[in-house]
Amino acid sequence: MAAQNGEAKRTKVPMRVLVTGGTGLVGQAIHRVVQEDPCEDEEWIFVSSKDADLTDPAATQALFERHQPTHVIHLAAMVGGLFRNLKYNLDFWRNNIRINDNVLHLAYENGVRKCVSCLSTCIFPDKTTYPIDETMVHNGPPHDSNFGYSYAKRMIDVQNRAYYVQHGCKFTSVIPTNVFGPHDNFNLEDGHVVPGLVHKVYTAKRDNKPLTVWGTGSPRRQFIYSYDLARLMVWVLKDYQEVDPIILSVGEEDEISIKECAELVVDAMDFKGEVIFDTTKSDGQFKKTASNAKLRKYLPDFRFTPIKQALKETCDWFTENYDTARK
Amino acid sequence: MATMRVLVTGSTGLVGQAVQRVVSENPTEGEEWIFVSTKDADLTDFEATEALFQKHKPTHVIHLAAMVGGLFRNMKYPVDLLRNNLHINDNVLYNSHKFGVQKCVSCLSTCIFPDKTTYPIKETMLHLGPPHPSNFGFSFAKRMIDIENRAFNKQYGCKFTSVIPTNVFGPYDNFNLQDGHVMPGLINKIFIAKRDDTPFTVWGTGAARRQFIYSYDLAKLIVWVMREYEEIDPIILSVPEEAEISIKELAEMVIEAMEFTGEVLYDTTKSDGQLKKTADNAKLRGYLPDFKFTNMKQAVKETVDWFVNNQDIARK
Repeated sequence: MAAQNGEAKRTKVPMRVLVTGGTGLVGQAIHRVVQEDPCEDEEWIFVSSKDADLTDPAATQALFERHQPTHVIHLAAMVGGLFRNLKYNLDFWRNNIRINDNVLHLAYENGVRKCVSCLSTCIFPDKTTYPIDETMVHNGPPHDSNFGYSYAKRMIDVQNRAYYVQHGCKFTSVIPTNVFGPHDNFNLEDGHVVPGLVHKVYTAKRDNKPLTVWGTGSPRRQFIYSYDLARLMVWVLKDYQEVDPIILSVGEEDEISIKECAELVVDAMDFKGEVIFDTTKSDGQFKKTASNAKLRKYLPDFRFTPIKQALKETCDWFTENYDTARK
Repeated sequence: MATMRVLVTGSTGLVGQAVQRVVSENPTEGEEWIFVSTKDADLTDFEATEALFQKHKPTHVIHLAAMVGGLFRNMKYPVDLLRNNLHINDNVLYNSHKFGVQKCVSCLSTCIFPDKTTYPIKETMLHLGPPHPSNFGFSFAKRMIDIENRAFNKQYGCKFTSVIPTNVFGPYDNFNLQDGHVMPGLINKIFIAKRDDTPFTVWGTGAARRQFIYSYDLAKLIVWVMREYEEIDPIILSVPEEAEISIKELAEMVIEAMEFTGEVLYDTTKSDGQLKKTADNAKLRGYLPDFKFTNMKQAVKETVDWFVNNQDIARK
């Protein structure tokens, strides 16, 4: 589908879209996208664990029966930071396998026309060449620290393909790189790099202390703003016809270093204190580049929100919603 | 009260029957062996599996039950093969943990290894790439047994492990020509050729080489694994590379065992499949350097005799 004005062109189709994990980082962004651009003949239903325990087949069945969705965006998952993953590999594996199996199987049984699930670049093979692309997901074992979570996510792709081969279902998946935005998990133990920096700068500013960034700041990462990811996921839901996953990310040219990211957050939050880089801490991998060639082939003119603006919006949200933000 | 209570799932199948034979030949005091099949519980159902464990309270489990199929079923029903096996395996492993099972041994297969790989294949290569697309549903479900074993060990210290046999054969196999594997297929074909006085046609040149393990030997090794093998990582159970035989040699053994005197044809228009798929049994040899496999000719003869004498119950 050709893009116009850099915006993803959308096909009009009457639909009732069920979004699981609707209150999380990505779910909230989809909510925003849908509210900004409501389409006639479209009904969007955002659900969370309050509405149904998706590890339970009967509860999931009841959810599908209640809403009769024609489409599903499946974002719900048991997620956690490094420490939780290390300790509870089994729970991460079992709960996510069950959630995904319940959602996909009930989507099939209830005649859902399209189901888009969410993978992650962290599930790719630990030993790999770069840039990583969609064809490499199953080419070797994932990093050992979160193997339960990673294999459960990988099985979404296996299950999608199985449903396509056996039943012709159009179930597919997306693979975002590092997502950030409002409604993230800003917990310093469990959260990811951007929310961690935002929270740290906020605290340093409030307590009049230096900001300490772990490592040298030189590793480079691709970040995708949740709002952009949401726009792309809605496009995938409506117009992406493959069963194979698609990486959703800015290009390699838009990678930024952790140092640059920290500086942008410092600017956005108007932090005037000292910034220290604790070089005794590990940098992790220098680059983990994911190729967005497939996305660019489909949407050559899609424009990502400039990172400065995206980080400003995220920092402002955190500051205004400090009391209720997950931390 | 028995000190060891072993629950064997899938016990009426090819391997399960061999385990029954091994156990009946060598009964050990203080041991109780419970052989179950689909008649006793639908293992895809969590409650039914839990009730089975509740009833027998096993201390050990040999988990052989699975949904299996030949090439055509695998290609047509990947969802069913994936889901049913994921459910069966999760129900058995989870209930093994819940009921404090000390050791659970599950059964993988060399067919689940990466499609693109170097040879000989070793246990460490299991997850190094995607399996052959023709049976990806089955293969991924089986691979997840190893993942789940490791996760249970990491989170709860459970001793759940698995074995990887090469081509198994023996009495009680599936001799169906569509669904069955190469050995039972040859036996059934020769049986029919002999009965109908027609030539017997082998597909391919007969040059492909394979490692076969007699179900009786596999059963002895699985019982050893259950008792003595302490690793969570899987172990390949197979004859060594030197004992590989060609399909032609195999056909000749079956012909001899069945006293077939008719014409033997090789349809060389049919594919040979891979020339060699050698699996490395070095790990097994490290543990059991003196284990003696049943002589191949004898194993084939026993299998053939069983098939001929059990036409009424043989699956075909």
